[in-house]
Amino acid sequence: MSETTLDTLRPGETAHIIGLAPGHPLRRRLMELGFIRGAKVSVLRNAPMGDPAMLRIGGTELALRRADLMAVRVRS
Amino acid sequence: MTLPTLGPVSLDPVALDPVALESTPPLPIHDAAACLQTVARLRAARDPRAVIVGNPNVGKTTLVNGLAGTNLKVGNWSGVTVEKREARLTFAGRSVQLLDLPGAYSLSPHTPEELITRTALLDEAPDVAINVLDAGNLERNLYLTLQLMDFRMPIVVALNLVDEAKDKGMTVDAAALEGALGVPVIETVASKGSGLNGLIGAALERAEVGQGVTYPAEIEGSVARLVARMEQLPTLPPHAHRYLALALLEGDPSIRGRLVATGHADLLAAADREALLLDASGEDALITVAEARYAHAAQIAQAAIPQVVARRTLTDRLDALALHRWLGIPVFLATVLLVFRLTFSVASPFVTLIGGPLQDTVSGWASAALSWAPFFLRELVVGAIIPGVGTVLSFLPTLLVLYLAMSFLEDSGYMARAAFLADRMMRSIGLDGRAFIPLILGFGCNVPAVYATRTLEKRSDRVLVSMILPFMSCSARLPVYIIFAAALFPKQGSVLVWAMYILGMAVAFAFAFVLRRTSLKNEGGGVLLELPPYRLPAPRVLWKHAWRRTASFARRARTTVLSTVAVVWLLLAIPAVAGGRFASVRPADSLFGTVSTWISPVFAPLGFGNWQATGALVPGFVAKEVVVATLGQIYLGEQAPTPAPLGLFAGLKQAALGTWEAVKTSVQALPTVLALPSLGADASHDAKSPLAAALATAFTPAAGLAYLVFVLLYTPCIATVGAIQAEHGRRIAWITVAYQMATAWVAGVAVYQIARLFL
Repeated sequence: MSETTLDTLRPGETAHIIGLAPGHPLRRRLMELGFIRGAKVSVLRNAPMGDPAMLRIGGTELALRRADLMAVRVRS
Repeated sequence: MTLPTLGPVSLDPVALDPVALESTPPLPIHDAAACLQTVARLRAARDPRAVIVGNPNVGKTTLVNGLAGTNLKVGNWSGVTVEKREARLTFAGRSVQLLDLPGAYSLSPHTPEELITRTALLDEAPDVAINVLDAGNLERNLYLTLQLMDFRMPIVVALNLVDEAKDKGMTVDAAALEGALGVPVIETVASKGSGLNGLIGAALERAEVGQGVTYPAEIEGSVARLVARMEQLPTLPPHAHRYLALALLEGDPSIRGRLVATGHADLLAAADREALLLDASGEDALITVAEARYAHAAQIAQAAIPQVVARRTLTDRLDALALHRWLGIPVFLATVLLVFRLTFSVASPFVTLIGGPLQDTVSGWASAALSWAPFFLRELVVGAIIPGVGTVLSFLPTLLVLYLAMSFLEDSGYMARAAFLADRMMRSIGLDGRAFIPLILGFGCNVPAVYATRTLEKRSDRVLVSMILPFMSCSARLPVYIIFAAALFPKQGSVLVWAMYILGMAVAFAFAFVLRRTSLKNEGGGVLLELPPYRLPAPRVLWKHAWRRTASFARRARTTVLSTVAVVWLLLAIPAVAGGRFASVRPADSLFGTVSTWISPVFAPLGFGNWQATGALVPGFVAKEVVVATLGQIYLGEQAPTPAPLGLFAGLKQAALGTWEAVKTSVQALPTVLALPSLGADASHDAKSPLAAALATAFTPAAGLAYLVFVLLYTPCIATVGAIQAEHGRRIAWITVAYQMATAWVAGVAVYQIARLFL
């Protein structure tokens, strides 16, 4: 149980959301997609050049760039 | 609680049933009265208006298609419906108007298309909302449903994609979902058209105003105070009060702008005071509201899906290959290559058929039928219109195959993967993966691609992509490449065509890079790509989709191309020298020839400074496929082999033999599509058409290359300019026209001057 940000997770790893960086431009959108406290998120794979990363949260699959993953605080 | 009736719907309007409302949890008293009123209005309306709302990519448009039998565009990437579309249907004697709205994850808009959806809900005051849910992703979809319920309007839920949910190991209990939501839930399989009748019946006769989420007490207190204030303001639509109050508390920037613009600044001030109060009590309204909605959605989802047996889905397995770290990009390139090879080898025998035997047959019949007519009329029809329009029509098979393949990539969900794979590359030119989709669509036709930029969030991105889009080689330019390839490079045809596509992309990217660093700087903000599950597109839908696009090309052949060809013929017929006679003047001495000769020195550095080549480029402003038609008029018109009149039977025989030959060649070509290194797709061009033969003598290879490069890069067709102007204004449209003209000329000079050293 350690607190970190989502960009440190490797493909195949899973974590639980703690919160999103205040003021991040995607904050509202990510919340609407299910990035809320306690939600389970897993990193599925990285794109060919290492970025972006493909995630699964709830029934949704989406991709975020590393720079944006840093705005997601998680407990792993 | 009423149970869902999935069977046949009674055809008579049902009187309002007060029992149904009692069974839902109690509402504040003034609210309940208003809800009863809206439901009563819906039941009584003679021509009710329904809106279709849902997350992106849940089958809304397929559903509307099924309901109204219209042919709206469907695709499997987020953002197919970039504007609202209307359809009408008749149900039980009532005329229902359906409004298909762009997909939205929430009613706090992030993109112009989500704004369209929200604005429609606010301003159009629909009588009922049909909320389409993806059964396989219930929780996220319910977030929108619950937000929709903050609008006090009757709702009915279409539970769609149930089959896909089953593949994921989920069985959704529609009755339980209906019980938990308090509005009718109808299972639909939009792609097969099942459940649609029941859905529309339920929408008209059983829709209810759902209870929605009860937020924590502090929030509800603030909402109640704001709603009380709004009730004093007759300009605000009553059905939206609760939604507006919540949006204000959440700090939705677009709603603030709208309220300021409509003169409700004091309402904003009141909302700010409420937000401060919430802040003081330690609540971040945005987080609290989102969490409350998700908690409620999770509860409902749990009631509706008692258990999930997690399964490795087909999508997971396909993505393991399509998005593989090393194989992903090779797979993408191979896919694109396959599409082009398919386009050439399967379609080109039919191209030869239409341009050859069929056209000869029609010309023969026409000359027989017009034997009574004056010479110039026969000349206009047989010498100009039939070959001109025929040449353009002969590319219909190529386009049909290309559109089928592109529709397949779109509808299957692969296009969204291409965005994921391309994101890193797009980042290096200051864009992101989503901008890749309009660019790829530009290969089909630039016009819808310009409209597809609406899915991008930032204005600077939309303008930038629209400005570079015309460099993407649309299918109208393909005929020009093909005819020149056949004329000058018969052995390297597909390499040449490939090179044109790649050159177009390279130029587009170079300009993106420059524009991003100079005038259209990045606005910042994060990047989020959705990856929808793969779906096997229904052949019927694919066919409709590709046919519609091909038909619009054919329609242009009938209208734009036909009239341009006629005008060019007229200009070619009017003598510009003393003593010339109408319709029998040499082309070089015609008005057309004279004006083209006057322009042609501009193109001397490109190697084709003669009036014929220059002249063909001018009508290309109207539509690029006209270039081929005009080349035909100019080069073949000079030789004027008047086709012999044909009898009915002889014509039919000629056409039938040609068709048989084409089918045979096409089927034989099929296996070569997968053959690896050979570029054997060009073999079918061995039999040179008369135009190709004429071009082979008129152009040197270097000049031919420069001509193709110029055609690729110069000013987009009128329709594209119109689309850019509609989206971004006259200024951007004219800048695009001007800079592309300059680019085409410079690139043409460079190609000619370099190529003539080697060729």
